[in-house]
Amino acid sequence: MTRNNVVTVLDPRGQPSGVFGRRSSGDNPGTILSPRVRPVDDRESMEKLQMAERLDTLEGKLIYLVDVGFPGSKEFLEELAEWFKENMPSVKVVYKQKKFDPYSDDPELWEEIHANKGDGVILGVGG
Amino acid sequence: MFLRYVFPPHPVGFIPKEKLRGYVDGINPVSGKPLMPEMVEALTKPLTEEEKNPVIEKRPKRPRLLPPDTEENLYRLFIENGWTDGNPIILPTEERVAEMLTGTDRDPQEVIGRMSVTTHQERLEYTVEKVAVIAVMAGCRPEHLPVLLAIAATEIPAFPSSTTSFSSMIMVNGPIRHEIGMNCGLAALSPFNYANSVIGRAWTLMSINFGDARPGDTFMHSLGHPINYNNLCHAENEEDSAFEPYHVEKGFKPEESTVTLFRGWNYNGINLGPAKAMAEALKRQSSMGRAGTFIMDPLVSAHLKDEGFKTKEELRQYIAKEAETFPQMINFIVVGGQTNPMWALTDYTPSITVSIDEWIPKTGIKKDEKPIRMPQPVLCKDGICGI
Repeated sequence: MTRNNVVTVLDPRGQPSGVFGRRSSGDNPGTILSPRVRPVDDRESMEKLQMAERLDTLEGKLIYLVDVGFPGSKEFLEELAEWFKENMPSVKVVYKQKKFDPYSDDPELWEEIHANKGDGVILGVGG
Repeated sequence: MFLRYVFPPHPVGFIPKEKLRGYVDGINPVSGKPLMPEMVEALTKPLTEEEKNPVIEKRPKRPRLLPPDTEENLYRLFIENGWTDGNPIILPTEERVAEMLTGTDRDPQEVIGRMSVTTHQERLEYTVEKVAVIAVMAGCRPEHLPVLLAIAATEIPAFPSSTTSFSSMIMVNGPIRHEIGMNCGLAALSPFNYANSVIGRAWTLMSINFGDARPGDTFMHSLGHPINYNNLCHAENEEDSAFEPYHVEKGFKPEESTVTLFRGWNYNGINLGPAKAMAEALKRQSSMGRAGTFIMDPLVSAHLKDEGFKTKEELRQYIAKEAETFPQMINFIVVGGQTNPMWALTDYTPSITVSIDEWIPKTGIKKDEKPIRMPQPVLCKDGICGI
């Protein structure tokens, strides 16, 4: 094969799979290191996930500030709570820390928020 | 599904309260708009039609072959498309990939995994043949392919996209170490062994091409990491270790060949000293908390036995107690050439140990008639060299 000969080579890139995500399991937070045992989502199931309808106003509403666990999240959300207290005092904010690592689901917390008739969630802060 | 995001300035961790308050009262650096009104709007502005009917773009399937071109143009294409690590590659021609595939009995079109360097992006799927393509690019020979297939099947990328700049480590155990000429002894972690070098690099190229690593888009390491080039690929020095091999400790048989993948950030220098010094070093280590893997020369393992630690488990229990951590967060591996009783503390923790044997052809490792080997270390045999 000389330098100017035309050659054919194989494509090195992986194929799109329609599979997304590498959530770790809330039951076993250590699975963050092993994608083989983590649940995944496919395109179709993700497209079915609907955003919640927005609130008409925040006045008088119960808003959860959910800390995902990255460094600084708690402190940032505390400042956010202060802002609401000073600028929108009718908004009731509740701080909660999500269980396990930032990638894990926490169904119990979502249940708790529903049960307490939470109106909205601010989730943060991404790392 | 869509989500609404509002971006404060970075970082938010480890900075004064007053600065965080400034973020809250300040501007979203991405949109250029005041942050809190945006936050309120994200919760109150009605959903758009697009948000109500989310559609995730379907990326087209890629053809198996790239359009034919000259070697020079294809080489440029691979570099300019970000399909390499920037170092020279071997172009994966059909002929070379076919030869590489003689390194396994598995069906070339068998899908063996899906990988993404990001947590929520689409994972790219790959076959045995795709791994062979990467193996050619990295400079591997068919004898290395079973190790690469075992690594690929874990679906674990060498460098997940964390802004904290992760790095990884590969360690091979069992008979395959010697069959493919890996180095577990003198200078095992240095660039003096062909198999260690190309296997480590191939995992990097897999992570780029299967994990879809694209800096600034899917890959957000802030500093990056030099270990990402080769992933500290080595074999364990089972023969000279005073302790049982790592894979045996994990439940595999001594005659099984395995590969273990570790993840963390730092290789925290070289140290001397007994178990107490090891515990003190672990106690000082902050990046991953008090978790880590000690990489020790065989001489260290012998000294630790002399100290009275009959097994790794006894040593683990002692260090955990002294360092005030959990025993299961401490690991030991034995590597090196016995020229100095040194150990290194890393903050790596094991992700997975998997068998390589299922990827080896029934007839055994496919070796070249004259396998490629770099010079073996010249060791002092007569005691006059002063070591």
